Amino acid sequence: MTSRLLAQKIVIIGLGLVLLATSGASFYHSRRLKEPVVLGPGVTAVKQLADYFEPLRGTANNCNVYLLEGRERGATMLVLGGSHPEEPAGRLVAWILAENAVVQKGRLIVILSANRSASTVTRLGGAYPPDFSIVTRWGSQTFRMGDRWTNPLDQWPDPEVYFHYPSRQQLAFVDIRNVNRAWPGRPNGTLTEQTAYGFMELIKREQVDLVIDLHEAELQYPVISTIVTHQRGQDMATIVSMTLTDNEGFKIGTEFSPRTLHGLSHREIGDHSPALSLLFEAPEPFLDATRGITTREQLLTGKDEFVVKAGKHGLLFEKIDEKGWPIDVRVGRHASALLQVAETWGEDHPDKLLVITQVPRYKDVIEKGVGSYLRDPAKAAGRVIYE
Amino acid sequence: MSMFTQAGIVLATMVVVYVVVRAFRISTELAMFSAAVGGALVAGFGFPARHVAEGAATYLDINLIFVTATLFMNLLKESGGVVFVVRSILKRFHRSRALLLVLLTVLLLVPGALTGAGSVTVLVTGSLVAVVLHYMGIPKHRAAALIFLNAGLSAAAPPVSLWAMMTAAGVNMPYVGFFWPLMLPCLVAGLLTSFILGWKGEGSDVTKALEELPTPPAGMAWWRVLLPFVVFGGLVFAGRQWPFSTPIVGLPLMFAAAGLVSYLVSPVRLEFFRIARETVDQLLPLLGTLTCVGILVEIMTLTGARGLLAVTAVTLPMWVVYATLFIVLPASEAVLMWGAAPVIGVPLILLFNNRGLDPIIALAGMSLIWPLGDALPPTAIIGRLTVDVVGYKGSYGKFLRACLVPALIIVVMGTLMVVYSKKLAFLTGL
Amino acid sequence: MPVVTLFYYALVAFVSVILAVNLLKSRKWERDVLYVIVLLPFLLRLLRLK
Ligand SMILES: [Zn+2]
Repeated sequence: MTSRLLAQKIVIIGLGLVLLATSGASFYHSRRLKEPVVLGPGVTAVKQLADYFEPLRGTANNCNVYLLEGRERGATMLVLGGSHPEEPAGRLVAWILAENAVVQKGRLIVILSANRSASTVTRLGGAYPPDFSIVTRWGSQTFRMGDRWTNPLDQWPDPEVYFHYPSRQQLAFVDIRNVNRAWPGRPNGTLTEQTAYGFMELIKREQVDLVIDLHEAELQYPVISTIVTHQRGQDMATIVSMTLTDNEGFKIGTEFSPRTLHGLSHREIGDHSPALSLLFEAPEPFLDATRGITTREQLLTGKDEFVVKAGKHGLLFEKIDEKGWPIDVRVGRHASALLQVAETWGEDHPDKLLVITQVPRYKDVIEKGVGSYLRDPAKAAGRVIYE
Repeated sequence: MSMFTQAGIVLATMVVVYVVVRAFRISTELAMFSAAVGGALVAGFGFPARHVAEGAATYLDINLIFVTATLFMNLLKESGGVVFVVRSILKRFHRSRALLLVLLTVLLLVPGALTGAGSVTVLVTGSLVAVVLHYMGIPKHRAAALIFLNAGLSAAAPPVSLWAMMTAAGVNMPYVGFFWPLMLPCLVAGLLTSFILGWKGEGSDVTKALEELPTPPAGMAWWRVLLPFVVFGGLVFAGRQWPFSTPIVGLPLMFAAAGLVSYLVSPVRLEFFRIARETVDQLLPLLGTLTCVGILVEIMTLTGARGLLAVTAVTLPMWVVYATLFIVLPASEAVLMWGAAPVIGVPLILLFNNRGLDPIIALAGMSLIWPLGDALPPTAIIGRLTVDVVGYKGSYGKFLRACLVPALIIVVMGTLMVVYSKKLAFLTGL
Repeated sequence: MPVVTLFYYALVAFVSVILAVNLLKSRKWERDVLYVIVLLPFLLRLLRLK
């Protein structure tokens, strides 16, 4: 080999190593970015998912379980944030609950990272930012941007076809890492199936009455701005949607969970436990296939000219204009819907109430911003834990 | 500046960089990589190391499949198994050309149908079928066209059709009901292709062929050839039959296991490390293309260039969409390969769904057309691979012209499936 | 870590070694660059970074 060839090769390999080091450092740091949670006045205990299903201990998906016990007995609601960590509104609502909510009657169980592994990776080809920050009065708080699917570093390989357990329905192979295609889970299955199984154990052991799974969707997806409900929750979901539309000034519909579509929380939790299962969808233009430039700003403002254009051609199932869909609006919708479910439940079950206070509603979140409901970890020594 | 202008500038930059780099006679793969870097720079992202690496990782699993499947085939070839099979097929079936063509078509459809990758068909059975076709008197450019088109159909064929799966996943639609809408057209189109391209042959002389073919090493037998396939098929079958009691093996390891078996049962000693090195050397353009396509798609997404393409595609009038499917789908495949499913497929299916078409049949029809793009530049990846495997040394254009008639039939079938998807919805069985 | 996953890391390590050997022996700068690009995701996985 001539010295010129050798020099060339050394330069090329050197550049490759620089690329490996810089990108590797970025992946390393975003997987390990610590997200502080200041335990709010209502949190009475923090457990881990592995307390309900031991094999999850030591895995990426051993997430924190925040219990908010009311002063009086009543109904138990489980809120799942972060089933799909690429849909940040759900996680932020869960954060607001853990840091602010006070339960008067009944019990609230909050999950901030339902698929924690999926919150440590960004989508291949998706060009997501590694993280995003919410501005607060005391500075800003940074969150991991996640994906829809479990990190391959925690679950690898994928099969050639994914058979959902126990229905045997065939699903796309990547969805074997989608926790919202893995319900009701399998104790000796993949990490994702075990995670869903862990939640089912929690639902049974804690005698959960209501499960709310928080999501966001692209505007081109027909199931949007809606409450998807198991058939046992149909009446309640209809009343909740009507009440919200009448009283709070935003439109939210209801969809019934298709009986033949398996693995989804609104189908399987209702089928495999006594709990009612509902899933909320808020609009997130950042997920649309027609979206333009992909940055933190687009993620949080929901502004996108391309998606607006698709809307003008009647291709969307939710309206969008130049104001976009700011994160405050998306979070506010989830917060109000969740509170309304608790209230409507109470009207039907006066002997088993669920009364939650100190949680902002739609108008409050829009007026003050999500950031004003996040607490400063620097001023909460002893009450900070990390997701 | 509006998003349209900005994304337009980025897209134009990418095209210019691509063309300029190609003008310096540098490979397609590096031209795509350069286009991605150029686009990112113009969009003000600098050199986005994280996104470049993330894009590069997009097809890691598929690259693993290519390496292990090709290694398996090359081990089989070096052990003399391929020659053995070719001789046996010729001896047994040479009397009936029609039967031979049907058999060869099935042989071509199976590997891609199982793996979802047309290149696996080309690599696993393509070289073998090519030899048989050669001795059936079919010129190499037509043999290459026959293998390429069937490989494409095999990739679209069920059970694993990656375009359908990736698009369905992109619109949160279950991958259910696709079996017959994919199976019937793929079988029909496959047989038509084989008969159109393979019926006429000059100077077919089987006895001469048998004289010319090298003899397999002593001790080569059917069981030695078939055992690795049985192992592979057994692993696939077990995973499907008992999905909850067998561990998830995944295609790369299945091919690796098959390769290991063929190494162990070879009647001659194989130089494993040399064969592995040659395999990777032979595959470098393919691995490079997939990796660079991943990088390009990621940067296009980052900068909004992908969105610009998608939003333009979906806001065209329906008749324009129908009438241009035959260009848009193969062209997107040629540029993005499977990336075409998330980039073009997802918005199109949402558009069709919105307009009241049956998304499953429409997507099956589209899946039929997509693989045709694998013969077109800039990537032309499977086209090039096929030509290589067949050993055709002539002009690439001649190979493309040989593909033309059956390709037109496939395009018409696919487009009609989209247009009349509602009427064909019974095929889904839902 | 499940046994199958360990096999996968071994497989990635094996392919990485072959890629690296071929990279060192290649004599064209274009192929060098391509080998480096192809190698990147394999190494990222092997180091458990992506
Ligand atoms: Zn979701």
